[in-house]
This record gives sequence, C-alpha cells and structure tokens, in this order.
Amino acid sequence: MALGNHLILRRPRSGRLEGPAALIQRSIAMLALAASVMLAGIAAQAGGGTLTVGMTAGDLPATTGNPDQGFEGYRFVGYNLYDSLVLWDLSKSDKATDIKPGLATRWQVDKANPKRWIFELRKGVKWHDGCDFTADDVVWNLGYSADQKSPQFNPAQFAQSRSYLGNFAGVTKIDDHIVAFDTKVPDSLFPYEISYVLMISPCRAKEVKYNWANYAQHPSGTGPYRFDRIVPHQRLELVPNPAYWDKTRIPKQDRLVLIPMPEASTRTAALLAGQVNWIEAPSPDAVDRLKAAGMRIVTNPYPHNWTYQLNFVKGPFTDKRVRQAANYALNRSDMKELLNGLMLEGYSTVPPSTPYYGHPLLYKYDPDKATALLKEGGCLPCKVTFAISTSGSGQMQPLPMNELVKSQMEAVGFQVTLDTMDWNALLDVTRAGVDKYPDINAINVSRQTQDPFNALIRHVWTKQWAPKGSNWGHYSNPDVDRLVEQIYGEFDPAKRVALLTNLNEKINEDALLIFVAHDLNPRAMSPKVHGFVQAQSWFQDLTPVSVEP
Amino acid sequence: MIRYILRRILYAIPIAFGVSVVCFSLVYIAPGDPLQTVMPPDATAETIAIVKHAYGFDKPLPIQFLIWLGNVVTGDFGVSISTRRPVILEVTDALANTSLLALFAVPLSFSIGFAMGAAAGCFPGRWIDRIVTGAAVVGVSLPNYWLGIVLVIFFSVQYMLLPATGMGPNGSTEFHILQWSDARFLVLPVITLAMIPIGILARTTRAAVAEVRNQDFVQTLRAKGLSEWAVTRHVLKNALPQVMAVMGLQFGYLLGGSILVETVFTWPGSGFLLSKAIINRDVPVLQGTILTLSLIFVATNLIVDLLQSLIDPRIRRG
Amino acid sequence: MTDIAALADRLEAFEEQAPPATIVRGYWQSVFDRLRHDPVTLAFGAIVLLIVLAAVFAPLIAPFDPYAESIIGRLKPFGWRGHLLGTDELGRDMLSRLLFGGRVSLLMGVVPVLIAALIGGVLGVVGGFVGGRVNTAIMRTMDVFYAFPSVLLAVAIAGAMGGGIGNGMLALTLVFIPPMCRVAETATTQIRALDFIEAARATGAKTGTIIRYHVLGNVLGPVFIYASSLVSVSILLASGLSFLGLGVRPPIPDWGLMLSTLRQSIYVVPFVCALPGVAIFITSICFNLVSDGLRAAMDVRM
Repeated sequence: MALGNHLILRRPRSGRLEGPAALIQRSIAMLALAASVMLAGIAAQAGGGTLTVGMTAGDLPATTGNPDQGFEGYRFVGYNLYDSLVLWDLSKSDKATDIKPGLATRWQVDKANPKRWIFELRKGVKWHDGCDFTADDVVWNLGYSADQKSPQFNPAQFAQSRSYLGNFAGVTKIDDHIVAFDTKVPDSLFPYEISYVLMISPCRAKEVKYNWANYAQHPSGTGPYRFDRIVPHQRLELVPNPAYWDKTRIPKQDRLVLIPMPEASTRTAALLAGQVNWIEAPSPDAVDRLKAAGMRIVTNPYPHNWTYQLNFVKGPFTDKRVRQAANYALNRSDMKELLNGLMLEGYSTVPPSTPYYGHPLLYKYDPDKATALLKEGGCLPCKVTFAISTSGSGQMQPLPMNELVKSQMEAVGFQVTLDTMDWNALLDVTRAGVDKYPDINAINVSRQTQDPFNALIRHVWTKQWAPKGSNWGHYSNPDVDRLVEQIYGEFDPAKRVALLTNLNEKINEDALLIFVAHDLNPRAMSPKVHGFVQAQSWFQDLTPVSVEP
Repeated sequence: MIRYILRRILYAIPIAFGVSVVCFSLVYIAPGDPLQTVMPPDATAETIAIVKHAYGFDKPLPIQFLIWLGNVVTGDFGVSISTRRPVILEVTDALANTSLLALFAVPLSFSIGFAMGAAAGCFPGRWIDRIVTGAAVVGVSLPNYWLGIVLVIFFSVQYMLLPATGMGPNGSTEFHILQWSDARFLVLPVITLAMIPIGILARTTRAAVAEVRNQDFVQTLRAKGLSEWAVTRHVLKNALPQVMAVMGLQFGYLLGGSILVETVFTWPGSGFLLSKAIINRDVPVLQGTILTLSLIFVATNLIVDLLQSLIDPRIRRG
Repeated sequence: MTDIAALADRLEAFEEQAPPATIVRGYWQSVFDRLRHDPVTLAFGAIVLLIVLAAVFAPLIAPFDPYAESIIGRLKPFGWRGHLLGTDELGRDMLSRLLFGGRVSLLMGVVPVLIAALIGGVLGVVGGFVGGRVNTAIMRTMDVFYAFPSVLLAVAIAGAMGGGIGNGMLALTLVFIPPMCRVAETATTQIRALDFIEAARATGAKTGTIIRYHVLGNVLGPVFIYASSLVSVSILLASGLSFLGLGVRPPIPDWGLMLSTLRQSIYVVPFVCALPGVAIFITSICFNLVSDGLRAAMDVRM
C-alpha cells in the first residue's frame, strides 16, 4: 500500500533523531507499516483519499501539545494529534456541543472535599510511540504546562494553557488509573477547563531530551491522527492512527494535509484551482463564485460572539441607557446582508441554541428608542471611541462590519471614532484593561463562548478584572458576583444550568456588551469531500471525512 | 590590486557592525510586546511576566544587545519565538526558497532585458526602440503585486492552468525543479518577479549602448570598413561593464526577496519570512532575517565593485 | 521586492553622467526649448498635472462622499445609479474614493521624496564641500543604511513602528535620504574640484556665497532630476506598504489599501477591483516618463 511507503520514506529532513531515537523511530515506522496494512482494509471500504485543508492561520499551529493559532489550532492539530482527559462530543450538527469522556472515562467531585476532583483514566490506551498511557503521564503533563520547577516545564505551553488552569492547585496519582485534581476554590466547571489541556507523550519528550523544537518535529500523542511530516510554515501532514482507542473515530481518509493560508482570497483561489479541497472561512463575496464552481458551502451556528466590550469606569457607557441605546441602534439584518447571509444576528452573548440561553431581553432594531434613550441619558451627540483591528482570529470582516456599526450608531445620535490598529495591538489593549486605556469606550474583540466560564463568567466577574482576566471594562456587580460563586459551587448539572440561565438573562438586561453577530463558521469544500458533519462548535471532527479520488 | 581588495573587505566590517546595531534597535523602537505570538488573547499580566522571564526579555536592552551580538558572531541567531526553531534554520530555509525564484528570475530577466535594451540601443529612434522603451517603462511602473493577483485570477482560477499559491505538494524540503508537478508552482511568481528587472535592464542597456555608439572609436571602426555586425559586437562589449554593475545590484535585490510578490503567492521565502516576523513580532527572526539579507547585500555590492575594478581599473574607488 | 531596485538603476545612471560643468547663460532657456519640442514629455506632464489637480480639487469634483456607505449598493458595476466607476465593498463610490485616494497616494509619493531631497541634499552638499572627516562621517553613516535592501528597510521600519500614514512616510524618507545624499555629494565633489570655484575663492568670496551661487546652482539640477525619478518609486512603495497593512489605515482612501481590501471581492466585480491598480500604474508611468523627459532636457551633453 502506498501509504506504508510514505510513512517510511517521507520523514522530515531537518531535526532527524540520532542513535537510539532513530532505532525507535524505525520501529515506529515498521509498526506504522503493519498498521497501514490493517488500515488499507478499512480504507478500501471507506473511500480514503487525501483531505487538504486551507486554514486561516498565519502559520502552522504548534505541535507540542496545546497549540497556538487560537481554536483553529485545536481544531486541526490539537484534538487530532492529542486527546485531553475530557473531550467534546462533535458528532451532532443539530444541537449545542457538550463535553464527553476522553482519556478519562469518569469523573466526580470528592464527596468529602469540594475542592478535589477524582478522574478515572481510560485503560489500554497507547501513545503513538507505543508507550502505555498511565496516571504518571497525567501528572507529568501538568508539570509540563503548569509547574515552573519541573524539568519538563515549557513556557510556551504554560502561556497556552494558563487561562484554563487558573484554578488548578495540584494533581496527585491515586493509582495507575486514577488521579485527583485539587482546585483553589470549589469548581464545578473544572471538567470544562481540563478539556482544553492536551496530553503529550512523556516517552517521546524524554527521547528528545526535552528539546521542544525537536519534539515539534516528532510529536506523539494518543489522538485519532498521528504525525507524518512537517514542512515548517508550509504544511503539516497527519495520517490515521489505526490503533485509536475510539474505534468509531478512526479517520476514514488516508491523509490529512494542513496548509496555512491567512489571506481569504488566496484560500478561494487555491480551492478553485484544485490545490486544496477544503477551505476555512471563505470570504462572503466569494461564495457565489465558489458555488458556481460546484463547491459546497457548509455553515452552522457555533459559540462565537462578535461584540464590543464596554468601558464601565469612564465615559458614556457607564450609563445603562447609553448601552441599551447602542444595542437598539443596530440593524443586524443589514449586517447579515453585508456578510452575504453568513452570520447569525446577535442579540445575546451566546447563540439561542445554548442550553442556558433562557429568555433574555432582546434589543431589536429601534432607532427612535435609541435616540430617546440617549436624550434621557443626557448624551446627545454621544461621542465614543472604539478600538478595532484590521484582522484577527474570529474577527470576521472587521473593517466593513465596524464601518457599518459606526454608520448605524451615528444615525441615532452617537459620534463614533474608530481607532484602527493591528490585531496584536488590539490584544495589548484588551489584556491591559481599562485602567491603561481609559479613553477607549469599547473594544471590538470577538470571543469564544464555548463553555460557561468563557461565555459568561469571565466578562462579568469582579475577580476577572483585566489585566488579571477578560473583564476588560471592569464591570462589577455584587449580585452577579454572588451568582458566579453559586455556579462554581453547584455540582448538580441541571441546577447549574438554571443558575447560568439566570446569569445570561442578567447580562442582557444590563446591556453588558453591544451584541452584534454570531459567526456561522462557513467553510467551503470540493464536491468530492464526503461525510463531514459540522458540529456547533469551534472544534470539528474530521475523522468521518473521505475524499473521492 | 590585492591591497585594493583587502581595503574594500576591511571597509565592509564597520558597515556590518553598523547594520547589526540598526537591526537590533529597529525592533525595539516598536511599541508592544515581543512575546505576542506565544500568548493567547486572554493571557494575564502575571502569565506574560513569567514567560518573559523564561525567554530573557526582561533584561536591560544594552545587555540584550551584547548577548545577541555575542551569539550572532558565533553564528547563533537565537530561536524563533513562534516556532522554537533556530533562527539560522528559518533564515537559510527561506533564503533557499527565494534563491529558487532568483535562479529562474535572474537569467530570464537579464537575458530578455539585455536583448531588448541592446536592440533598442542599436536602432535609436526607430520603431523597435520605441516599443522597447515603452515596454521597459511599463515594467518599472507596474505594481508587481497587482500583476501577481491578476495572473492568478487568469491562469489559476479561470483556466486552472497553474497553481495559485505556495510551493506545492512536497513543500520546500523536497522540491523537484525537474518535475512539472513541482516546477509549475514557480511559473507565476517568477514571471511577476522578473517584470521590474526586465524593465530596468532594458533601460540601462539601451542607455549604455546608445552612449557607446556615440563615442569616436565607433566611427573609426566604421571608417576602417568593419561590417555593421562587427561594429555592434564592439559596441556591446564596451557597454557591458556598465550593464553588469546594474545586473549585480539587481541580483542582490532578487536574492533579498520580494516581500510583496512572495506575500501574494505565499512563497515561503525570505521576504515572506520577514513580513510574517513583523506581523507576529517574532523579534529574533526579524533581526536575523534583516541582518542576513543586509550582509548578503553588502557582500554582493563588494563583489560587484571588485568585478568592475577588474574589468576597468579606472573605477577603483577609495 | 524589486520595485526599489529602480532606485539603484537611477543612481547608477547619475554616476555615469557628469553634471553640467557650469551654468551657462541661457541654460534654463535651452532646457525649456528642448522640453517644448518633446511632445511625449509634454503630454505625460499634462496627465500628471491633471492627476494632481484632480486630487487637489477632489472635494469639488467627487460626485459622492468617499465615506458614504450603502449596504444595498455594495460592489456594483460601472455606471450603476450614477456611480460612474461602480462601488466598493461598503457601497462607497469608487470614483470619489479614487480621487480622494489620489491625494493620499500622491502625498506619500511626493512628501518623502521632498524631505529626503532636502535632508539628503544638505548633508551631501555639506559633506562634499567641506570634505575630509566630516564627509567621511556623513558618507559612512549613509553607507550603513545603504547596506539594507531598501524595501526591506522601509517595510521593517514601517512594520516596527506600527503603520499609519506618518510612519509610512517616515520610513520612505529614511530610505530615500542615503541615495539622495550620494547624488548631492558626488555632484558637489565634482564641482568643487573645478577651476571656477578656486577662482571664486581666490577672489575672496565667502564660503557661504560660494555654496549659494556655484555649488547649489550646479547640484540642484541632478538632485532635482533624481528626486523626480524617485516619485514613482515612492508611489509604488507606499502603495505596497498599504497593501501589506503597514501604511494607510482604513477607512482613509488610498490606492494600495483599496487594492488590498477589494482583493476579497475580485470574484464579484473584477473590473472595479482592478481600478486602484490601474490608478497606481498610470500615475507611476506618467511620473517616470516626465522624469525621463526632464533628465534628457537638462543633460547638457546631449
């Protein structure tokens, strides 16, 4: 089978392993050959083919565990090479996604100690390098990304996982297949947090003597795909892991090729020219051309929020009436037209399909009411400055969209100044918080809202005030803080959803953000690509996809 | 002669030092954080401080410069912040890819440009001169990145003849020039890249040839009864040193890579590497790339100077 | 990018040309005469003038507000509802934006060249006239900047400082100073060695006077022509910076930036999206031809 040959012959040229490492690699290759013979049987019935993806990322995501390049990195590299203890169920397209067992089969909070979670690990799982997955590996991995004193500590991993491990206090091995996590405060949301922490193979790490640049060229995880080769900055090739523990998720295509293409028009051209058969986020204006060429456009709502976070310390938005006026000023169906239909009108932090959406107060387009509220609030004309970016992860089409928001708000009595900066500069503003930039009244940073903390809590909690967290504008409300603490202490999922619904409705009532749009995550693919089910998530399962020759 | 060469080489050393100072300081006039690229959007100040320390970016600037310079002298350009690969690898990989473009763009543009210019210079004022002069000024006035976009629309999207972007299925590590499946990725970038040098060389050659033709010795040759073809050969020979000087500079520029053309075609060369390093604020890569390209440029200029002085000793400059 | 390679080409052409040995009576008269009999230069000069006038009077000529958006009227073809050249991705009138964009593009084409000519020219004249260590210090500093491929330098400076019109122009100015300085220095050094300066000195003329009358008079010509040839390079470079996102920031209309944002919409109205490129091309070719004509007219040897 050609695949086997590929595996043996095509190893990356740079950073080759020496001595015993090479020996191990050769045996891996042999293993892979055997595996691919096995796989050949599966592929024969399933169609196989090579899936070549044009990603929006500016570079290849890191292969050293938690990837960079945002959630796109998790989508294509992170959750393909690796698993976390808790995974996301991406098999359905018609409902909001939730977590499911991953490398852990069961978890529960310690009855005697609400600050301790017990995780039972999956048995019989093997790393791509052949080592067994055990409790020691979990402990080692938390040292890798969280413990500055451990020999395997990697600052890049620390940076990528810190925001998910803010509440993590320690991990202990109970036996070979049980670990206990300690948290700083009772944390009912810990399984969500740990779902973003990917596990890498300590065996391989030791083999490369903790040289992470070398590891990046020879990564080893437990995920449904294994690494085949990388050409830095250009392409990453993954092949199915026929020994994957979840037999339903062994990839149906023969090979997955990932190519970074940050320019939307480049992605479109590459798809039309037949260089790739799948692109992320085609430009809305190219959709008609793509359809005319027979390409399939798939969309689905997902937990994404294109919004403005507001300044609650200084300026007009400290007045709730002005915040509501801004929300009433927006005609979101115009925005939808601007994007050729590729968005969901945004009226709340989370899309309506979210379990804790509830019945929030919706600010439908009402320009007269907006002007009246501005008058009432004594801010007419109401001068505001928005910090916006020229591009960036999840920002959709920031320039035209901001121009439209500006013109709609100015129609009701605002005077909007757009302070345009590049994405990194906007991130600087975002992280530093309102104290350092008191004269900016709002920042346009889109956010993922995949889990309760990221969707709601981080925007409203006093403990999340920037620069410590994502509460950029220093919103503070004792009632809300109390509610947040209740949520963290509520271990019964049904009761927790009720509390979260309450929180979401409160956020809307208080007009915490200017709600604009939820992305529909459009992707375009060649008619030869089959079997993809688009989940309502930032993450997607590529394993059922096959490609006709 | 040897003394002259030595003097020129010695003279390049302070320039190289000056270049390294500029390279290093360039990056630090910039606002913002050099660690942007490894930080997720919601990283906290505490997280950034810890990572900064781990990368050594919390030391005072002059110390950072000395450490950097010391490493550079020993050939260690540091490690890329975003990929953790050694910068020297990043730069040499990118340079190799750019050289691949230059390998085709240089002979293509030099031969076409020289032929066009020579033809025009030999028949000043005639129709061929007019056509060449017009075409050459188009070449130097064309925004080449725009030309690239137009070519992609035409040849990749409309007719699906040539690929739109990148280096193809094997990437740059196993690029086979002799295989059409790989080589076809070169066609559009090379054409786009060659446009300006063709224009420049045609103009220079035309001017040089026309000038030589006006010199007295040409009349003498004619008077001696040489055929027009033989006279032309003499003229071209005499115009060559001047054209070579411009060719040398063009060669240096082509090796330096074309940021815009490489960006339009996502060609993973040195210009593309640089623009990505700017966007990501990947300081070590930025410094390493600019420094390497500048040193290559200094070296090219040096070689051109020396070649010129070999051909025509009058040119020797202090 | 090789656009800037034109810089070296032009410089090379200068080093080959000896400047006019002295300003003969009627020199400007003869230049003018030659220009009058050069229809190509005149024609393209007229186009340049038109482009400049159109940009200057854009607020008067433009049929629409260049910032007025319309979501229903986005990406429409030529002639749609009075939009002679169609509309852009936000429904703004293309003709108006091209006119206003011309202001920014010309500004970024001319201002850096002017400032660089001034600074570089002064440095070159001072260095060339004073000579010795001062000259060495100036020229060696210039050599360091010379060592950078100019485009990389411009991109690196603009990128490091974060883009914007001001930073973009600053970057271009820094790129143009060294070659400008070299042109002025070469011309000055050559003039200084000529007999008539010595004669002026011998008659007791003050240094300032000599510089004012003799040196400047003979250096200005080459510096002027060289500067005029850089304008098109500067326009191309500035639009390139904007194209990369390192120059003008939206929503300000600028040809390079318009080209970059319209790139997404090229499948909807290809001809409208090609317009900014055409504008850059036409302007740059006109400046090039005019500069060529001036060079020919002012070269005494011809």
